[in-house]
Amino acid sequence: MSKIVILGAGISGHVAASHLRRKLSKEHKVIVVSPNSNYQWIPSNIWVGIGRMKSKEILFPLAPLYRKKNITFLQAKAVSFHPEGDPKESKPYVLSEYVVGEKKGTQEKVTYDYLINATGPKLNFEATDGLIPGLNKTYSVCTYGHADHAWHGLNELIQEMKKGKKAKILIGTGHAKATCQGAAFEYILNVEQELRKHKVRDMAEVTWISNEYQLGDFGMDGMLLSYKGMTMKSSEMVEMIFEDRDIKWILGAGVDKIEDGLAHYENLDGEHKTESYDFAMLIPAFSGHGFKAFDKDNQDITNKLFKGFMIVDADYTSKPYEEWSVQDWPETYQNPSYKNIFAPGIAFAPPHAISKPRKSKNGTDISPAPPRTGMPSGITAKLVADNIIDSIKKGKESLEHKGSLGNMGAACIASAGYGLTQGSGVSITTYPIIPDYHKYPKSQGRQLGKTFGEIGLAGHWLKLALHYAFIYKAKMKPFWWLIPE
Amino acid sequence: MTERISKSQRFKMMNPIIQFFKFIYLSIKIMIVVAGGHGGTREVK
Ligand SMILES: Cc1cc2nc3c(=O)[nH]c(=O)nc-3n(C[C@H](O)[C@H](O)[C@H](O)COP(=O)(O)OP(=O)(O)OC[C@H]3O[C@@H](n4cnc5c(N)ncnc54)[C@H](O)[C@@H]3O)c2cc1C
Repeated sequence: MSKIVILGAGISGHVAASHLRRKLSKEHKVIVVSPNSNYQWIPSNIWVGIGRMKSKEILFPLAPLYRKKNITFLQAKAVSFHPEGDPKESKPYVLSEYVVGEKKGTQEKVTYDYLINATGPKLNFEATDGLIPGLNKTYSVCTYGHADHAWHGLNELIQEMKKGKKAKILIGTGHAKATCQGAAFEYILNVEQELRKHKVRDMAEVTWISNEYQLGDFGMDGMLLSYKGMTMKSSEMVEMIFEDRDIKWILGAGVDKIEDGLAHYENLDGEHKTESYDFAMLIPAFSGHGFKAFDKDNQDITNKLFKGFMIVDADYTSKPYEEWSVQDWPETYQNPSYKNIFAPGIAFAPPHAISKPRKSKNGTDISPAPPRTGMPSGITAKLVADNIIDSIKKGKESLEHKGSLGNMGAACIASAGYGLTQGSGVSITTYPIIPDYHKYPKSQGRQLGKTFGEIGLAGHWLKLALHYAFIYKAKMKPFWWLIPE
Repeated sequence: MTERISKSQRFKMMNPIIQFFKFIYLSIKIMIVVAGGHGGTREVK
């Protein structure tokens, strides 16, 4: 009998749990430890943040599903890692603390044979002074709660605009090293369309603020795309969309402080500037959760497991941008010190960024951290689950399933406005996710036919279709496994 | 506001019939890119 513990029930944790349960016989235990009682399909938070979807449409409670599927669910949060056990407990374990019910606040040693750390990012709002969702007129759409709140804030402003108020809306990244530009990009386009629908577009100045050096960088070093038979830079495509929608932009901006309606930032020229706004949605920095790890003698071994996020089979040797290669990126997401620990999704420590790192004239790092979107999060979780399943079945370590982001494609279907006939989407695919400048030297590290962009109503339908398909899959309804990650 | 997307392009982008075929085309193309497999990068072939 093997016991597999999964920390986190987001995209990667839930994918891993469902595949493990489907493919392993009942004698093996699958345990999910996660503090949130609900599963949420995060990509649809964009529509919650413009009031076009209710948060209940993008989430469902995990406990009944897990009960039905024979997955043990502990509504608790991981506190510390003990991969060798301790003087009293010979098995490796994760110290977890219950967050609800009678056991709230009590800690339990959750022992395991295999551990999947799928805790994603910590939304590190504290890294930017004054950036608190719902305060200082700034909002977030990173969780359904935040997105609900953002819609209330936006709706209040729209009502004021209807009465004649002129307003400034600022959307983008709220930290010099933030990532997830794609989500902010979707949100700004959706907000812009909503303003038009509410007939207040002419009352608003809409501005994109970002730590990207160029538009369309998306933390992926930008890309060359096939678009309508031409080869276009993603910067040109986004510029075209923004100009067409009358969206202004501020680039190379490291937001470092927020005051009521004021975003202070430093730019790459080293200038300190301030942008005022009436409503802002700024993506915070993402960081690791600050977990600690201890050996069997209770000595601190955090640096064997964590480098901010969890250490996996990446090459973490520090090297200049020019020497970065796809081989630096992990393939199996296994921790090199403890081979029964894995970290798919956002939980693993990337070897470095994807976008070229840049510093301001004052030496401040202002460039995007690497994004890890939903699709690769699901794929890496599935391959981790498959390797664990093989290892259990064969009785010895098996790492046949590999999936480097340097040998994997991703689709980013960015909503650009909601509505079955009036909606729009920007569909972008990239292959590979990490540019391979050796393999594709003439097309900015990516294969052109597989890296393409499209704009139009079909993109909105696609995003909506993905919403329903992935919620169906997450609910583990009949034949859910036929839907790819 | 600069009209960067012409009226005829916008018509094509928002026309439900054209976009229905685009939807099918994009779904297949995305499946090919995303579900087209993945692997390592380090093995010397
Ligand atoms: C607004 C927004 C829109 C997005 N849109 C898209 C999109 O259109 N397409 C796309 O591909 N990607 C999109 N993404 C990115 C996508 O959501 C992430 O890639 C994905 O959620 C990462 O999955 P994960 O499982 O690694 O992390 P998460 O989904 O963040 O899950 C982490 C889990 O860990 C749990 N957890 C946290 N702390 C602990 C702890 N101490 N112990 C145990 N569990 C813990 C959390 O409760 C959660 O269940 C978007 C992201 C955002 C914020």
